[in-house]
Amino acid sequence: MSDLPPKTSIKRWLVTTNHKDVGTLYLATALFFLVLGGMMALLFRAQLWQSGGTGILSGDGFNQAVTAHGLIMVFWFLSPIASGFANYFVPLQIGAKDLAFPRLNALSYWFYLFSGIMIALSFFQGGTFAGGWTMYAPLNVPTYTPAVEATTGGTITVFALILFVLSITLGTINFLVTIHRSRAEGLGLWNIPLFTWSWLLTVWMMLFAFAALLAALLLLGIDRVMMTQYFATDQGSGLLWAHLFWFFGHPEVYIVFFPALGIMFETFQTFCGRRLVGRKWVIIAMVLVAVQSFLVWMHHMFLTTINLEIKTLIMATTIGISLPFDLMVFALIYTMVKGRVRFTTPFLFSLGALVLFILGGITGVFLGAVVLDYEFRGTYWVVAHFHYVMVSGVTALIAGLYYWWPKISGKMYSEKLGKLNFAVYFFGFNLLYFPMFLAWETPRRVFHFGESMQIYHQMATVGAFVLATSFAIMFITFGHSYLYGPKAPDNPWKYSRTAEWAIPSPPPLDNWSGRPSYASGQLEFVDDAAKATDGGVATETPAAQQEEEHADHASIWPFGIGLGTFVTFIGISGLTPYVYDFMESAVEAGNAEIANGLPAGPDAEPNIMFPILTVIGLMILTYTLFKFGVEEFNAPEMAIAERWPFGGIDNTKMGVWVFLASDVVVFGAAIGAYVFMRIHMGWTEWETIPFASWPGLLNTYILLTSSFTVILALVMAERQNKKGLLATLGATMLLGFAFMGVKAYEYSVKFGDGDYWFSGLEYSLYYVTTGLHALHVILGLIVAGFMIYRVLSIDAYLEDHRPVEYFGLYWHFVDIVWVFLFPLFYLV
Amino acid sequence: MASVRTYAIIYVVLLVLGTAKFVFFEFDFDYWTAISGVMLLAVVKSLLIAGYFQHLIEEPRAISYMMTVAVFMVFLLTVAAGFSIQ
Repeated sequence: MSDLPPKTSIKRWLVTTNHKDVGTLYLATALFFLVLGGMMALLFRAQLWQSGGTGILSGDGFNQAVTAHGLIMVFWFLSPIASGFANYFVPLQIGAKDLAFPRLNALSYWFYLFSGIMIALSFFQGGTFAGGWTMYAPLNVPTYTPAVEATTGGTITVFALILFVLSITLGTINFLVTIHRSRAEGLGLWNIPLFTWSWLLTVWMMLFAFAALLAALLLLGIDRVMMTQYFATDQGSGLLWAHLFWFFGHPEVYIVFFPALGIMFETFQTFCGRRLVGRKWVIIAMVLVAVQSFLVWMHHMFLTTINLEIKTLIMATTIGISLPFDLMVFALIYTMVKGRVRFTTPFLFSLGALVLFILGGITGVFLGAVVLDYEFRGTYWVVAHFHYVMVSGVTALIAGLYYWWPKISGKMYSEKLGKLNFAVYFFGFNLLYFPMFLAWETPRRVFHFGESMQIYHQMATVGAFVLATSFAIMFITFGHSYLYGPKAPDNPWKYSRTAEWAIPSPPPLDNWSGRPSYASGQLEFVDDAAKATDGGVATETPAAQQEEEHADHASIWPFGIGLGTFVTFIGISGLTPYVYDFMESAVEAGNAEIANGLPAGPDAEPNIMFPILTVIGLMILTYTLFKFGVEEFNAPEMAIAERWPFGGIDNTKMGVWVFLASDVVVFGAAIGAYVFMRIHMGWTEWETIPFASWPGLLNTYILLTSSFTVILALVMAERQNKKGLLATLGATMLLGFAFMGVKAYEYSVKFGDGDYWFSGLEYSLYYVTTGLHALHVILGLIVAGFMIYRVLSIDAYLEDHRPVEYFGLYWHFVDIVWVFLFPLFYLV
Repeated sequence: MASVRTYAIIYVVLLVLGTAKFVFFEFDFDYWTAISGVMLLAVVKSLLIAGYFQHLIEEPRAISYMMTVAVFMVFLLTVAAGFSIQ
């Protein structure tokens, strides 16, 4: 629509919500972080030229570079570049006009970008996090990190990750609703292209895995800012972090690899000129991997104190997960055998990815065996295996860049340069990573190694620079193509069959000139308006068609919300010294007790800039969220679409349910942390923290009553009874405030007894879990207040009552959480 | 969507079940019996809220399956982690 400025305008990129623009932003930003993460790697590879280091980095600098390299590559490059492809091509492959929630999609991107800026800034706040990308406890909390300095930068890193996970969560909701509810007519799930299949399974895994990571990061962030003790005790803290992190971390391997696999399937089909052999079985194998990925996480914990029974069980599940991959690998090989291969640049990269993945996969099987893992754990064997798997994924992602470059840019690239790029890349990759297998006795994250290992490390360092050169060639190839390349046709590949190749390169803003349909068994573009005038049955009303034609593609508020969250998170990250000072003074004055004495504090001194930033950030957030809420925005809707198995429910309601599913895991993991720590301590050894159980019971009555008033609000909205709606929403708010009042009284009694959140592990668990719940109540109160304002100002929800129902879904969920918190913290 | 009467009945049942949880620990039950009873009541309450107040019984089954998977993930993580330190 004309509300979107041209691509040459900076404003366009700040306001766009169009999926192709957002995809382009994701791709460009991810490539920037590839360069940043790559520079970190070059730095520490230079340090590793000789045992003991060349002195190019200090000890702490080395730790920071290694940690930041891992975090940036895994979180800020690998997943987002796949998000870029998915944003651009999934709607095209399924025949959609855009994602289901375009503004949320833009917000996902801004959260991602600002989270990346945060990690870049963390280097300048006393140093970034330096405890390794796995952030193992207790090296991730101030109490145990005086040696490497518990910096504000370290806390900013944690909050950057939280912001990144929020971005992922929004993206997950968006893609799940889009792929399930916006497929073109006749496009059943079995028939969606394999890249979209791989992405669909990726986002399903993301939904549950990243929620567990969010819980872990929230607890860690609270530990670092509020000095709670989740990860600071000798009572199971290390195991708790490992369980939470790897419950996310192992599915993350497949989350990162699946989109690359999808690209391999697409490119193998296109450049072998035939359908993937065993396509149906490949899809089943991918589903199996997605399920199994949640059953293997403890193979990362074989060297911890978990028992032998569970280790044996996990060894079996780990070996089991390699089997579906075998099927996929054979399907790819057999597709080559049965087809006629065309060795274009995208195919070469895909083939290279397959070869590297086979090596990476086989070397991983060693680590899945308990006894071998005892030997290999924490060595360069892990580093080599991990990179052969993850960077084979990168290899396929580069294949995707070449494959789709003509569609995105509208220009063809030079095959000669592309093939040179592949040759240098493949040589550099193997020179970098293969010697690591030979130098496997080197401990990871350490720059001291035996003299006999030196030659391998020097080969790896040379390989790193060769690999870096290959990326320079890649950028030159794309730059050359953009400036001088011939115009790309709609479909430059003879045997590509997916829908994105049926439209111009680059695609127009609204994607399709007619409505894509597969009803006849092949892709057709239907002109619904013409059908209606020909005497056919019109499938949409003229008003609906007009609305679709006026779909919006621009909003500045996602950028504003991203900025506000960024400023708030930076501010919060620097509050630790204030909390520590409070803790110290309370202990010294005899007003507070800490089970193991006063812990070591943060490195930084209190700085007024951080509280000010927190307040400014919250002000920006309040304003931009309000403007976002009142903005008129028509997302492109699809009147005719395949929606199985989520038909009979609208997009927003499905989105709310998906969000709640994610929140179930976030809250569940926090409650699970309580259960785990209590089991570790001895269940009946636990001391109940609240001073009495009656405040919990009273709050149970209050919340249940508020659930009843919310459901009455829905009834009132349906009856178009404005006064009734205002009364019931108002009652809900009052009950919410009453709940908070009881909670405040309960906390104040405990504070009066000298029991704070930092007083001991039980106290941390009590205050944080009930505090997270209270935060949910506060967020609900803000939404309820906004809804009352909308009813008063524009008689909202009387014509369309659905937003009241969506709010109710959230509020009832908060009630359900309390149903479990009450007995766990007040009774048992 | 259910009637106001149904909502009111569910609300009263929820209040009764909420009180019953409290009662388990006020009377002389064996500790583990009390815990089991209380958690069972919590599950029943949650199902009533989700089924009737959130209208899960009227939504497509896929929504219920998705929420069941989410709850299963929590159980998987908690039970497996708890077992791993036995």
